[in-house]
Amino acid sequence: MKKQKLVLAALLLASTLATSRLYAADKPSQPPPALKVGDVAPDFKLQFFDGNGLKDVTLSQYRGKKNVVLAFYIFAFTGG
Amino acid sequence: MKNFQKNLQKLEAADTQVLGVSMDSPFANKAFADQIGVTFPLLSDWGGETTHKYGIYLDKYKAARRVNFLIGKDGKILEEQVDKDAIDPTKIVDACQRPKLKE
Repeated sequence: MKKQKLVLAALLLASTLATSRLYAADKPSQPPPALKVGDVAPDFKLQFFDGNGLKDVTLSQYRGKKNVVLAFYIFAFTGG
Repeated sequence: MKNFQKNLQKLEAADTQVLGVSMDSPFANKAFADQIGVTFPLLSDWGGETTHKYGIYLDKYKAARRVNFLIGKDGKILEEQVDKDAIDPTKIVDACQRPKLKE
């Protein structure tokens, strides 16, 4: 009887640990970015290569003209 | 990036310019764009100044986090998608097509 209780306790402990680990893995590793919906997006000047030469692009060049999607990605040649 | 390319016509019709950004060199990004068939600019944030300014530099990867921002004509952020949620840009494509953004 005592042994059974011990086994039960061990199982309970193991499952608790397993769930908490799963939960931890599921939590986002990083807080959300500081820039929120409604904030003014910081201006920038960046370049891209169009096949002939380097071209400048600023965020402010689209102000009042177009919406802009800025899609940050981790590295080139990595899916997506 | 491919998912934005698939939706590019819709986005352009809604007066929206798509720009990819990473900390790769402009030449690596051009090769990447050609390889995956992306026709919009992939901007090079060599050194990471803009990535830092937007607060999405990941020390772990020494690179930018995967984040999409939709920025309105007034310069304000209208939508944001982070990490895994940023793979499917449907939320942003839909937001662009809301009538008030087309004005």
